[in-house]
Amino acid sequence: MSANRRLAVTLGVIWVVASLVGLFIISVLPFPPAHASDTATSISNTLRLLTYLAWPIFSGVITGIVGSMLIGRRDPNARPASHDRIRGNPRLAGLWVGVIGFAVLLLAVFGTLTLTNEEAADALGLAGRGTSGTSVGSSPDNTDIEVQVIAQQWQFTYRYPAYGGMESAHLVLPADARVTFHITSLDVTHSFWFPAIGVKADAVPNNDNVFSTRVAVMGTYRIQCSELCGLWHGSMDDNSAQIVSGSDFSTWAKQQQAADAPVMQYLPPYSHTYVPLPAAYGT
Amino acid sequence: MATMTAAPQRRRLSHTVVQWGIVLGIVGAVVGFWVGALIGDRVVPADANSNNSNAALIVAYIGSAIGFLAGMGFFQYPIGRLLGRPRPTEADEAFLYGEDGGKRRYFRLNLDHKVIGVQYLVVILFFLFAGGLGAMFIRAELMATQPSFTSAESYLEIVGLHSVLMIFMASAAIIGPFGNYFVPIMIGSRGMAFPRLEALTFWLLPPAALILISSVLVGGFPTGWTGYAPLADEAVRGMDAYLVAFGLVGLSICLSGLNMIATVISQRAPGLRMTQLSVLVWGVFVTSFLGLLAAPVLLVVLVMEMLDRIGRATFFVPAAGGSPFLWENLFWFFGHPEVYIFIIPAFGLILEMLPVFARKPIWGYRVALGGMIGVGVLSFFVWQHHLFVSGIAPSLRPFYMFSTEAISIPTSIIFLVAIGTLWRCRARFTVPMLFVLGFMFNFLIGGFTGVFLSDVPTDFSLHASYFVQAHFHYTIMGAEVFALVGGITYYLPRITGHELNERVGKIQFWVMFIGFNGTFLSLLAVGILGMPRRVVSYDISLQGLNISASLFSFVLGASMLAFLVMLVYDTIVKPRLPRSANPWESLGNEWRLPHPIPVHNFTALPTDWRLPYDYDRDDTHPALRGAGAPFPGLAE
Ligand SMILES: [Cu+2]
Ligand SMILES: [Cu+2]
Repeated sequence: MSANRRLAVTLGVIWVVASLVGLFIISVLPFPPAHASDTATSISNTLRLLTYLAWPIFSGVITGIVGSMLIGRRDPNARPASHDRIRGNPRLAGLWVGVIGFAVLLLAVFGTLTLTNEEAADALGLAGRGTSGTSVGSSPDNTDIEVQVIAQQWQFTYRYPAYGGMESAHLVLPADARVTFHITSLDVTHSFWFPAIGVKADAVPNNDNVFSTRVAVMGTYRIQCSELCGLWHGSMDDNSAQIVSGSDFSTWAKQQQAADAPVMQYLPPYSHTYVPLPAAYGT
Repeated sequence: MATMTAAPQRRRLSHTVVQWGIVLGIVGAVVGFWVGALIGDRVVPADANSNNSNAALIVAYIGSAIGFLAGMGFFQYPIGRLLGRPRPTEADEAFLYGEDGGKRRYFRLNLDHKVIGVQYLVVILFFLFAGGLGAMFIRAELMATQPSFTSAESYLEIVGLHSVLMIFMASAAIIGPFGNYFVPIMIGSRGMAFPRLEALTFWLLPPAALILISSVLVGGFPTGWTGYAPLADEAVRGMDAYLVAFGLVGLSICLSGLNMIATVISQRAPGLRMTQLSVLVWGVFVTSFLGLLAAPVLLVVLVMEMLDRIGRATFFVPAAGGSPFLWENLFWFFGHPEVYIFIIPAFGLILEMLPVFARKPIWGYRVALGGMIGVGVLSFFVWQHHLFVSGIAPSLRPFYMFSTEAISIPTSIIFLVAIGTLWRCRARFTVPMLFVLGFMFNFLIGGFTGVFLSDVPTDFSLHASYFVQAHFHYTIMGAEVFALVGGITYYLPRITGHELNERVGKIQFWVMFIGFNGTFLSLLAVGILGMPRRVVSYDISLQGLNISASLFSFVLGASMLAFLVMLVYDTIVKPRLPRSANPWESLGNEWRLPHPIPVHNFTALPTDWRLPYDYDRDDTHPALRGAGAPFPGLAE
């Protein structure tokens, strides 16, 4: 067996072992953002899948660099050997490009299928299926509840169109319902990030960014702004977002409507047109 | 300039020193402020808004930059030519090229590309350490979940300064010092195609730095380096400094690209083919196209934002018909090629050093060039991966996902070339070699985290989180800065004739490597767990990992400081001479010139060109014994 082949086989064995050990570890690792919605589940699965794909290539490159250098190393002062004269290997380079290209294609095809397939796209929340301008776009047909998320420096306000446009400073959602968020902003660009349900969508003034997902697991969660929006960007968060049972939600909504009633009688009913006019650019 | 005939030319030119630049810079600022205030009063009614002060500031900054360049003497030649005055005499030219020697030539307009390379190196290190100070401040603050020793306001200012200083650093970290110093030598030229333009690309940086840092006097800027509008529209006056300073650097990137392309194409020694050029030259060459094509878009978008701030042009203000997406698209159309402007020259530098220490010819030279060209071309087609969650039409996303993932194909070639070169090599684990290997490891992580971000579904979770922050710190700090430190160690004997302490250097490398990875592995985790970027307060559940990142970052900071101390100590305090003129026993053509390298590099047309990686030669070759193999016909 030639020295080249011996080294290749040694590295191959190390690579297979490293890959298998790594793949096992990946299979038992918990991947965020967990399972509070079908979007979150789908993101966790994709993260795990990508890690499965990435690890063998990563460990292969590391094994190649470290192994060929250390295991195959010769005395720095040795005389040049015949293989030193090899200036490249087009077939090997072609094979390499082919393998990496295949992995990339796999990734892109899988990703594109996810984005274009209706069901899977539903699970991924459809961020971006919105309208530009001042009117609020439509929600997917199977939506159970719509929530308009209105960002401003430095807080989020939640409007519930089905409840007469009632507003709340804290997000409350019913479990086991398909929620469609309509995300917009009154001033600068913000981003609505609800990690537990895998929702992240920019809040851009004059734009309706739509994100739809089925929320599942009840609990109290954290929401924060994830696009730099000025001084108190870091404090634009809320630790008391809640996903509650359907009946608890109705109770809460009734209470909230009653509490808001004195104010709401003076306000126009919920409108699908929204015209934010920041004072600085008025007149 | 008024009395052209009376004073000897030499005296007139000796005015072109930094002091004059500063004086005229101040004059320019005052005049600019006055003119700008006049414009501001005309454009914006005084009662509407305080926008007229924006006009005053922006014109003042531009005026100070023009004044500074005038004081440095940049306009004497073009204006003189325009008015039909006689060309500079030979004595003038000799002075401009610093043939009088000495240290003063580094502090004035100098057309010697080697002096400019050293000037670049010093300013790059200034950016790196000033920006690094900001990083230390940020990490110290983030040990607590709420603002502790700073206010939210100054935190945001420091984040802005840190990020933009580091972008300035990264834009020229390899191409500035090593590109300017070595490209003309490596192509057998007496200089750059446009020496005055080359000097200009450097002298745009000091005013840019001063203007940027002066932003703290007027409240800093709250947008980070991305300058997102409409936040930038409503920002305090420090934003104006960001716009002008970044514009000056954009101009520098663009002009440097133009100059490098012209140089590599037209100034090569006769008989030297493109396929015989060092990989470093190729890295610089490919990058120059990115700079030339992308930086003008940055200039445009910055001018639009200036108009927004001066005259309420409302390009980016939705309530008045503008669009924040316009900024995002134009900025990232520049911004994504920009990150490859950082890394492609580093590919070149790393692959340049690898064969020297592997003691083997570079494996797959042409494949490596293909890889760099491929990365460069693709870098123009991926920018919307920054907008996946912004609300763009969903139908656009699959293309940008694919193009972004496709960039990993040419990028992976760099690793293939590395493996091929290291295959059963005679590795010498010197300090530069350690940095080459550190680069490989860090850039591999930077690349793989990039794939996670390119995938639309996972980007919904990772976008704008600390995962992104750690990802690009892996590529910029972990890869480019590692290449920079390795490159300094490698080229110092050639540039200044000094050698860094090898034992200290090895310790420094390992501390830096561990500090770096400890910091940014912690931050990758923090990002996956849900911490957004650029926040001063965060959830208490993430404090443990943040403290870990901070402690490691202090180790990293200490290692960088140690490098700086070592650099100053071994070159200035107690100069340390190298073992030989060619201590790494490199076959690179740049090592075949005598030390110090003459002002115009070559006294005769150099011949005997070859791809400088023949480490399979017989050991009797003089270069392999450390003596250097001078160009035939060149005086020692
Ligand atoms: Cu915000
Ligand atoms: Cu990008």
